[in-house]
Amino acid sequence: MATKEELHERLKNGVVEFQDDVVKQAAQEVVDNKYDALEAIMNGLAAGMEVVGELYDRQEYFVPEVLMCADALYGGLDILRPYVPDKRDGIKAQVVIGSIQGDVHDIGKNLVKMMFDVAGWEVHDLGRDVPLEKFVQEQMRTDSEVVAMSAMMTTTMLGMKKVIKMIKEKNPNVAIMLGGAPVTKEVANLFGADGYAESAGNAVSEGIKMIGRLRQMQGKI
Amino acid sequence: MPELSAKERVQRVFRREPVDTMPFFSGMGLVLRPAIKQLGYKFPQIHRDPEKLARAAILSSRMFGFDSVVVPFDMCWESQAIGNSISLYEDSEDTLYPTIPEKKWKSMDDVNIRSDIADRWPISLIYEAIKIIKKEAPEYPVGAWQLGPFTQAGQVLELDILLKSVYKQKAKVEATLDKLSDMCIAIGQKLQAAGADYITLREMGTGSDLLNPRTWKDIIQPRMRRILASWKSPKILHICGATNLIIEMMNDCGADAISVDIKNNLKESRQKLGQNVLLFGNFDVFALPCKEETTVEQAVQGIKTNIDGGVDAVWPGCDLWPDIKEANMRAIVETTRTYGKKPSPALGRL
Repeated sequence: MATKEELHERLKNGVVEFQDDVVKQAAQEVVDNKYDALEAIMNGLAAGMEVVGELYDRQEYFVPEVLMCADALYGGLDILRPYVPDKRDGIKAQVVIGSIQGDVHDIGKNLVKMMFDVAGWEVHDLGRDVPLEKFVQEQMRTDSEVVAMSAMMTTTMLGMKKVIKMIKEKNPNVAIMLGGAPVTKEVANLFGADGYAESAGNAVSEGIKMIGRLRQMQGKI
Repeated sequence: MPELSAKERVQRVFRREPVDTMPFFSGMGLVLRPAIKQLGYKFPQIHRDPEKLARAAILSSRMFGFDSVVVPFDMCWESQAIGNSISLYEDSEDTLYPTIPEKKWKSMDDVNIRSDIADRWPISLIYEAIKIIKKEAPEYPVGAWQLGPFTQAGQVLELDILLKSVYKQKAKVEATLDKLSDMCIAIGQKLQAAGADYITLREMGTGSDLLNPRTWKDIIQPRMRRILASWKSPKILHICGATNLIIEMMNDCGADAISVDIKNNLKESRQKLGQNVLLFGNFDVFALPCKEETTVEQAVQGIKTNIDGGVDAVWPGCDLWPDIKEANMRAIVETTRTYGKKPSPALGRL
């Protein structure tokens, strides 16, 4: 029988080497052996994605590789997630996510979504080409703590500014995360956002750093 | 010093002959809100009407003193001709370009392009628009453009299908790109036959923030070469995003000029390419002409930095965003004229 640490290592390497089958099998063994599923997600899958982020930053991996790694990660997450016990209070952090109206690109958005999925957030994915008001309505309906928006084009980027204004007027405590090719840190600040990721790859990089922070927090709990 | 017309200036740039001053022109969308407003049009109306397309393009250039007129403005023509429906966002007051909400083809196996695609509606409207511009604004060179096959694949298929297949189904990806390259060649030739004076191949989504440079060399470069070889000069190759790792390969595709966006380090590119290659782009189409907080002085300084970076023309690094601040836009063009009187790396002055 494989030890917990061995399975974590297989999950991690399977993600890095985008081997869906290896990841699925290791995840199943975690379940069959009644090891802690959340630990396997954080120390296996998420740890693997951190390595992927480093490889991307070093320009050894590019977006195709990252997408395949993400597929491998989801293969394991689908098996492990049902075995993660709900928090004692039963409340999950929530995020509303989508690509803004006029933008039908969603690779970056999906990579950021993965980060929230790994962290166990409840994700309200509005998809792409989302009318501006829909972000506001969904945030209010779900009382989500975070709204994450992406725009691939300069021409759609300005819509974000309107959404931020509308949301902050209604609920100033909502954290806004922006991403997309034309969005710079300066633009994000200018629009009143709380965080940003400049491209699909950067979204991974930034998202993975967030996963790393979550893992550290997990270790302290 | 003789003052050249816009057409003469641009023609001389591509022939590597000395010019009076640096041109301000583009190979990508160059349509501005003030012109659309003066014509009494709405933004969503101009895209599929050849007269409105032509007149909005002409007036944008005349109002601000650009050196070329460019059509079309959006990226959905081929995808629509293939049979996809488009969203024009007719109810929106914002500047939203047409998009393809749902793609007809679900996998690379579905890709099947009719042999008469270049003649089909709505692509045929662009040829009409070019003819109108040639007749009504003969003082301008007309620029047209085509999306490269990889970028076009993202318009007709879900992009992640293609990206994930780059390694696992390489032969299928290459076959798809070949079909789209054939379409690109055929439409480009028709654009030139209709009167386009220069043409830009926009393989936007292949920068090295997306694709491995090895992948670029392996599957993108051969198609760039084939497409550019099939078009007459002048022809420009444009790629968005990170391009410093592939700039030398871009220059080895048969284009007459290379165009990059703001993520390119111009000085490094110039060092790699040498002084004789025509290099355009790299100015920020949002920060300088559009951003509410950017002053005229900052816009002027931005263009001076762009020129000092080693470009041979002031050329937006992407579609010029239509909602410009008029004072900034005028100052940008004026600075191009005055500050651009000194020779650029690949071009002397009269």
